[in-house]
Amino acid sequence: MTYRHTTRYHLRAAFGALVLAALALPHPAPAAGAGHPETVCIECHSSLPDRLGAPVKLWRSSVHAENGISCNACHGGDPNDADDAMNRSKGFLGAPKETEVPAFCGRCHPGVMKDYLASAHGLALGKGGPNCVTCHGNHQVLKASIELINEKNCTRCHSFERARAIRDAMQQTESSIVGIDARIKGFQAEGVDTERLGKGLFAVRNRFHTLFHEVNVAQVKAESAQIDAELAKLDRDLRVIEEARARRKVAGGFAVAGMLLLALLCHLMKKSFD
Amino acid sequence: MLIKQMYDWIDLRLGAREIVKKQLTGYLLPARINEWYSLGSVLMVIFGLQVVTGMLLMVYYVPDPEKAFKSITFIMNEVPYGWLIRLCHAVGSNMMVAVLFLHMFSVLMMGSYKSPRELNWLTGFILFCLVQGISLTGYLAPWSQLSFWATTVATNSAAAIPVVGPYLVEFMRGGKLVGPPTLGRFFAIHVVVLPAVIAALVALHLFLLKRTGISRPPEGTKECRNPTPTGSYSYESHPGGVPFFPNYALQDLTSICIYIAAFLAVVFFAPNFLFTPDAFVPANAFLTPAHIKPEWYFLANYQTLKIFPSELLGLSVQVAAMTLLALLPFIDRSPERNPLKRPLFLTLAVGGILLWLGLTIWGHYS
Repeated sequence: MTYRHTTRYHLRAAFGALVLAALALPHPAPAAGAGHPETVCIECHSSLPDRLGAPVKLWRSSVHAENGISCNACHGGDPNDADDAMNRSKGFLGAPKETEVPAFCGRCHPGVMKDYLASAHGLALGKGGPNCVTCHGNHQVLKASIELINEKNCTRCHSFERARAIRDAMQQTESSIVGIDARIKGFQAEGVDTERLGKGLFAVRNRFHTLFHEVNVAQVKAESAQIDAELAKLDRDLRVIEEARARRKVAGGFAVAGMLLLALLCHLMKKSFD
Repeated sequence: MLIKQMYDWIDLRLGAREIVKKQLTGYLLPARINEWYSLGSVLMVIFGLQVVTGMLLMVYYVPDPEKAFKSITFIMNEVPYGWLIRLCHAVGSNMMVAVLFLHMFSVLMMGSYKSPRELNWLTGFILFCLVQGISLTGYLAPWSQLSFWATTVATNSAAAIPVVGPYLVEFMRGGKLVGPPTLGRFFAIHVVVLPAVIAALVALHLFLLKRTGISRPPEGTKECRNPTPTGSYSYESHPGGVPFFPNYALQDLTSICIYIAAFLAVVFFAPNFLFTPDAFVPANAFLTPAHIKPEWYFLANYQTLKIFPSELLGLSVQVAAMTLLALLPFIDRSPERNPLKRPLFLTLAVGGILLWLGLTIWGHYS
């Protein structure tokens, strides 16, 4: 190989490497970045031991933390001023008593509170029955899901038999909701207008969640069937989008192949002139 | 027959045959011209596509914070082929920067920036900066969480400039924070000012290219030295070289087709390669996303600002590096153009590129 050819070879190799490097560049995404500023509650309690510090660790992995709901949203007080953080004149409520818990949580979740109070669990409030934090946790608040109906949780108070029957009746619906939610989120992250679908799922999910405090198995089964029918409509709408996108990919495949063929043709024509 | 008659008719009035001979078939390029030389044509096609898709987007896009995001959603979902036009514009802007990098890389490696082509390099360098500017201003247009906060981060960098920094940030934003005035001025700059300036500079770049002639590739020994005597203008012709038409025009077409194939592959199969989910959430000035970064080609700048103890120092280093790059033809006066015979240059250039890549990757994962 002559020196001239070597240089040309190096230039071509560098071109190829650079094209690959450019195409392989990752898109700007995950990294630690700007979040919500810490409140004085977190700053102070995170350095405290045992009972006073534990809630901070628990809260960090809660659905509340995930959604930016900090201590003051439930307990009140001034989150920006250490002196007034626990000042009752600034709205500080402290920790509620056992019977006050539903009303405490119900300030933000009034519908759920209503369902709970009407259920067998709610009717047993103050008589040894469970309140919100018994199943959902207090600081490490867990997102309402069917996973909360489990043997470990339920057998703290009673047998799991009926709870299992309810959970089995809801399992399919829950799986459909989770699957449809993931598909909607996936499309939203690709620029598809999912507002109508998202609102539809939100309504269905809320309706489904009202069953979470219901202990009548027959009613759970009947309601779940109706919810499944609504989910099927959402599924059909999503399939239409998926099919359209699959068609786009086929068209894209032809377009890319066509351009590569054209490139080859031009290259061969150039060679014939060379 | 009809075509020949038409050609004769035009030739009689415009002297078309003479133009074709002088500018196409008789326009000779260096005998050993390589594929890298076609990147300029690829860039012109990209710029043209950006202009056309941008014009089409303007039919439905509304540069108002209340309506911008909805109008983009409408384009992506309701307008026939709107998704294709929008994705072509968004993906094209990124690929234009990537191809510009390649074009500059080839000019650097082949030493084509050297005398008498200092002005070609300088206009190209300014074009490179302007393309980054037009990408930055266009980035805000969708008024999404990503565009809003990335613009906030990008414009905030200017605050590191002593004394005038805060005023400059306020001037760019049209207020203390990114808001409706920012969208108004960024949109005006994006669709009127920068395209006009870029088009004018492209014309100047091409004019300079025609006046100096195409540089030879740095192959061989004698040929790679600049034949232009110092002190007087002369056009670098290439007797016995390759005609632009049809020979090199076919190479241009080959490169353009390969580019469009790669571009369409991204548009159809991986459009989200360049977007994060925040790109499809409307801007919210009260909710800072946890993961926000500037576009990939600003990641190295972003990371440089972070690694220095003061932002001013980081900014100064970047200004110094950019100035050095802009003035390279005035600093590197050696006539030698073969990269393998310029070990110092090659070390610095490869080191600089690796540093840039390293900072970009670091910025991405930091």
